[in-house]
Amino acid sequence: MNPSLKLLLLLLIALEISFTTIVSLNIALVLLAALYLLLKGTKFKTLGWLLIVPLLPAIGLWSTQYINGSGDKTLMAWVLFTRIYAFVFTGATFTLTTNILQLADALEQNWHLPSKFAYGVLAAYNLVPKIQHEVQIIRAAGLMRGQQLSFWSPQLYFKAILVSINWSQNLAQAMASHGYVEDAPRTHYRQVRLRLRDWLILGLGLSCLQLGVFVIPWR
Amino acid sequence: MATIALNNLTFTYPQAVAPTLQHVSLTFTSGHFTLLTGPSGTGKSTLLKLMTGLLPLDDPAAIQYDQVNLSAIDQTDRAAKVAMLFQNPNQQFAMDTVENELVFALENRQVDPTQMAARITAALDFVGISALRQRKLLHLSGGEKQKVALAVIVAMDSDVILLDEPFASVDPTARASLLRRLVQLRDKAGKTIILADHDLTDYQALVDDVVKVTPARNIVPVTVAQRPALFQAFEQRVSTTTTWPQPTSGQPAFKLHQLALTQGQHQLLQPTDLTLFQQHVTLITGPNGSGKSTFFEALVRLHAYQGRISYAGQDIQRLKRRAYARQVALLFQDAETQFLNITVQEELAQSQKHAAGTYFTTARIQQALAQLNLAGRDEQVIYTLSEGQKKKLQILLMLIMQPPVLLMDEPLKGLDLASINALVQLLQTTLAATQQTLVIISHQLTGLTPLIDYHLHFDQQQLRYQGVPHES
Repeated sequence: MNPSLKLLLLLLIALEISFTTIVSLNIALVLLAALYLLLKGTKFKTLGWLLIVPLLPAIGLWSTQYINGSGDKTLMAWVLFTRIYAFVFTGATFTLTTNILQLADALEQNWHLPSKFAYGVLAAYNLVPKIQHEVQIIRAAGLMRGQQLSFWSPQLYFKAILVSINWSQNLAQAMASHGYVEDAPRTHYRQVRLRLRDWLILGLGLSCLQLGVFVIPWR
Repeated sequence: MATIALNNLTFTYPQAVAPTLQHVSLTFTSGHFTLLTGPSGTGKSTLLKLMTGLLPLDDPAAIQYDQVNLSAIDQTDRAAKVAMLFQNPNQQFAMDTVENELVFALENRQVDPTQMAARITAALDFVGISALRQRKLLHLSGGEKQKVALAVIVAMDSDVILLDEPFASVDPTARASLLRRLVQLRDKAGKTIILADHDLTDYQALVDDVVKVTPARNIVPVTVAQRPALFQAFEQRVSTTTTWPQPTSGQPAFKLHQLALTQGQHQLLQPTDLTLFQQHVTLITGPNGSGKSTFFEALVRLHAYQGRISYAGQDIQRLKRRAYARQVALLFQDAETQFLNITVQEELAQSQKHAAGTYFTTARIQQALAQLNLAGRDEQVIYTLSEGQKKKLQILLMLIMQPPVLLMDEPLKGLDLASINALVQLLQTTLAATQQTLVIISHQLTGLTPLIDYHLHFDQQQLRYQGVPHES
């Protein structure tokens, strides 16, 4: 499915379930998402982690609601519990199957997002592992000069910001020297198409969601 | 094909007092390989950036490609005219993998997508790095990155190729290979090549023209008659193939026990037992990407490893980070990494305050600054220094700290001959007084040889002492 429409569908689902209190719908979404992930070849181990990691916040929300909540405490506790899982699993259907490059391609080609935005975000994303290592290096370099740089030390951030400014200038020059010109027309090697099928999946997905919300809410 | 004319080009950086380039009038002949030389920090990078259009010009007619003003060439067509390979291999890519970067460049050039795969294959084949196509740029060595950068330029098929100190962090094998490709690009494809370098080794037979930056910040051609004298200074250094003795016994600084290193899934070092000795200078050489810098990062606990490293008899993982950093310091390859403050004076004061020894008194610091040609820059913002000046300041700062062990990663990178000699002299006098242990990674041995006691070579996942066994 087209990555941009997939993201739109998931955002709409997340928005809608934030305003509903239907346990069966949340569970159905989790099951559908898990099924989709399995079809896309996700490992059972990864699914296991998706179940374990949100457990703590889910239990926290459940108990808060169960003890301190108002109205139908039990129902609301289970709604919140399952909603967390619904968020995590539907989110995973995007993050585990789509990379940021595909999304940037789609936003640029289908939605005519300015390419400088698409590539700026992409370049920043590609820098993340380098930034993590750089922070480690800055702190080590500080120690070697007799200066302890803790996580609240302004000097650490000053250095990090300097490094980023420097990188961004160099990156801009590098992009320019590789022929990149803002707002100039470009060709596209990885073609991302927005097909009728993508719109149908979006429509169908949203319709099914409305069925789950209004027509067959088992609770 | 493009002839480039500089017409009375003068350039001054905003806020700078003196112009970086002054009244430069020069023509670069189409299809020639021109070597641009001169000490570090004299405006070579600036000229190349001006010629690429990365810096704005006051006088639009100052730079012309085939009688057309550079600024009049449409921005989208500029990449077809001129492309640049940068000094720092880490900062010339926007994408994650080699292939994606090439695709990005070809998309910008509006190449028909159906032709892209073939052009990418051809460019990678030409440079000899087809095996790197799907690799992440983050995991490549400096030399490999420069090869990728050249492949991008080949794929974009620009007429003029500018290279700014492209071999500063590239080993001799990769350098020779890149130079061979450049000559091919000139001879087979008729490209105009302008390369800035202060190290003139190997160029004499390859280049058509040589131009140099004068002290008055002009750029003048070096006539054929003047060239031998210019090149000779470098040829001599190369012919001395020094060998050092193997270490016999001594106080160990580091002991490596079954040390193994990996980068991603790539094995860099097979399990190795080795000792590095105190109060000696050990040189580490080896091709690019063999893992020399990673080895240093492991020694200062910035890179994970298998096996055990002990310093002064203790496992370094058990030592407190802070205390260990006072014992073993790393001179990073990128000088800016070492800086913590804003002005030269603040940096010097910080090092002096936290120094582990007292050798560097204020008088000695002033003397060293004069020796390194850095005097009178106290109030200057360090980030506005040239690369060579940054490097010299960085080394001085770490010498002032006087850690018992100093690991130096390419300390001569980007330095001209005069700076190298001054620096080696400073190191010699300092070491004689402080008895520090030095471990140096360097591609460039020119001028460095008198310092070295032992020689380690890192290649093919092996790290071994070189040289003749000691006579005893």
